Amino acid sequence: MTARRFKPGETVDFAVVGSGAAGGVVARELSQAGFTVLVFEQGPRFSPADFEHDELKYFFLSGITVDPSSSPQTFRRNPGAIAEVSRGTQPALYARLVGGSSNHFTANFWRFHEIDFNERSALGSIPGTGFADWPISYQELEPYYTKVEWEVGVSGLAYASPFDPPRTKPYPMPPLPVKSSGVLLERGARKLGLHPFPAPMAIASQPFRGRPACIHCGFCMGFGCEARAKSSSLYTMIPEAEATGRCEVRARSYVYQVATNAAGRATGVHYFDGDKREHFQRARAVVLSANGAETARLLLNSTSSRFADGLANSSGLVGKYLMFNQGVGVHAAFEHELNEYKSVQVTRVVHDFYDSDPKRGFYGGGGIDARIGPQPAIWAMSSGSDLPRWGADLKARIEAFPRSMYSAGHTTSLAVETNSVSIDPKLKDAWGIPAMRVTYKDHPDDLAFTRFLQDRQVEIMQAAGAQKVWRDDVQDSAWGVHLLGTCRMGNDPAASVIDKYHRTHDVPNLFLCDGSSFVTSGRGQPTMTIQALAFRAADHIGRFAKRNEI
Amino acid sequence: MNPADGDQDDNSRRSFLLSSGGFLTGVWIAAQWPSIAAAAHHAEHRPAIADPVGFDFLNAADAADVEAICSQIVPSGATPGAREAHAVYFIDRALATFFSAWAPDFRPGLVDFQARFRAWDPAAASFAKAEPERQFAYLKTVDATPFFDTVRTLTLLGMFSSPKYGGNYHGSGWTMMGFADQHAFTPPFGYYDREYIGFVPYSTEPSA
Repeated sequence: MTARRFKPGETVDFAVVGSGAAGGVVARELSQAGFTVLVFEQGPRFSPADFEHDELKYFFLSGITVDPSSSPQTFRRNPGAIAEVSRGTQPALYARLVGGSSNHFTANFWRFHEIDFNERSALGSIPGTGFADWPISYQELEPYYTKVEWEVGVSGLAYASPFDPPRTKPYPMPPLPVKSSGVLLERGARKLGLHPFPAPMAIASQPFRGRPACIHCGFCMGFGCEARAKSSSLYTMIPEAEATGRCEVRARSYVYQVATNAAGRATGVHYFDGDKREHFQRARAVVLSANGAETARLLLNSTSSRFADGLANSSGLVGKYLMFNQGVGVHAAFEHELNEYKSVQVTRVVHDFYDSDPKRGFYGGGGIDARIGPQPAIWAMSSGSDLPRWGADLKARIEAFPRSMYSAGHTTSLAVETNSVSIDPKLKDAWGIPAMRVTYKDHPDDLAFTRFLQDRQVEIMQAAGAQKVWRDDVQDSAWGVHLLGTCRMGNDPAASVIDKYHRTHDVPNLFLCDGSSFVTSGRGQPTMTIQALAFRAADHIGRFAKRNEI
Repeated sequence: MNPADGDQDDNSRRSFLLSSGGFLTGVWIAAQWPSIAAAAHHAEHRPAIADPVGFDFLNAADAADVEAICSQIVPSGATPGAREAHAVYFIDRALATFFSAWAPDFRPGLVDFQARFRAWDPAAASFAKAEPERQFAYLKTVDATPFFDTVRTLTLLGMFSSPKYGGNYHGSGWTMMGFADQHAFTPPFGYYDREYIGFVPYSTEPSA
């Protein structure tokens, strides 16, 4: 079956905005359920051979990420300040091509734990935050986590971590081969009485559903996978959606407004094609999966007389409670070669500090992993007050590259209302659409827990026998790739944007599903949960549609 | 040569992969992938980078000063440094083309750097012509400036980015740091995973 091509003027059942981790799942599930689906993607469509191992292009020239020259964003630390155009890394950084950020993610695929969904009840309120329970439980999401593992493709070892939440099936593929960084993390952590375990990764460790196994090229984080081993939507959900004959993925198509009628229902989307020509696509229902920053921006730019403050924004919370996930790491050098630039980033993880512990005096939880971090050029540029910056000391550190590793700590971000995606009052993008403004300052607990976890990482590296350990600087976030929380899920329409089925409280045929749906941040690896939510959302949306309840 | 010059070679790799996928089954590709990838990588190999003939953005005196800074940031020695990696040619090309947006800050930054140096050491003809020890001592006084940060960033990018951008001459930066520019690897990858005995499950529940 070849991919569907809808005719101009044809009404589709669902317009899905975004083809990434969530949009791909939603498109596949709804098209397999028998609905017509048109997926809009701002960026181009790559074939596997289009991806390159080019650090400069991918990290400095917006190779596959949102381009500041055409899509500028502004940033400010405090809500009273005037936001300035970001000249370096975009504050809300994401990949812009078919498959979205599932192309360039590192592929750490931890499930959330049971506690992630009811932490507020367990720990109590935290002043100055919107700390809240989710309206769903881990048990409700578990079947969909399993679907991600078996249908998207995750490698791992079930029951290896004593902290893992309950699961109904093991992983479909064994863990990827351990790297020296994983061996050392495991050695150090076990010496300290901790419980390291093989990392769950959305990368094929063996041939899986028509895709080959990983070739260990090492260019995962920030790069697309030319081997098709990384379980990106580009290689998994999107082709399966197209194979139904009911789904079209329209690349280079930038949706800038969701249209509504006098009855307050969504009627379709306005978009620019690759030649900047404007079009309107009519749809019976609209699903926004544009990522946790662009979904909020699209709603805020979809104003009308009925929705003067932006679409689905009666709560006033669209764009608010942005969470990036804090995190920091330590560099370590060992006696022998690790050659960490080979293979996937992460092969071992420690979850002993996952839960927040009131005895510490601050909120926070996290996970620790072992990796190289960026590839050669960016690695050599690593900065931090603890690291040599130039001269013979810098050269000596660079020459120790094969003997070096990085332990990354992934930590919580509290939901703070002033941390937000909003519309910049002046700046417009290359299409004339109001640009994104990001306001962000970490909660003090986020920084306190990150420092706590870094101390544990130093202990682990020392216990593993590191000859030298350098700390990254713990600092306020100025950008993020985890774009979470801006259209939070909840039962109360005054305190949330979508209900537990991802339907907006205000517009019955408008659904939101991506990182924006999150109520809390998890511990830094959100894509697994984004995709589990997407499977669950699509399941319910499909049922609503079949019952004519949309 | 400019960054786009690599396209011909990329196209070779692309054509190879596309033609491979056109008539081979998914199962066969899955089984043979490492050798396919290695062959694709071979197809990607580029002709040797031509020796640079001159500068577009910097004049000769400025280029000498910039190269001297680069050479202090990553010194030459038993292994290649910034000078051998042609970092200054990368910087010149970057500022003239793909990083031209950095140029308006770079040029006055360099002028300021040179002016401060003349005040610091009026006897020296230029930073490039000063003794390395004097260069080092002066750089210690300015290494917190945005200009120094920019040169540091460009030096390291010039040493360790793809050679197609004009630096990392013949992969000398990668050679210095021990990075193998290869397209596929097989385990074991390093010393410590070679001796790993396998994951031993936990027999007891964690106490926490």
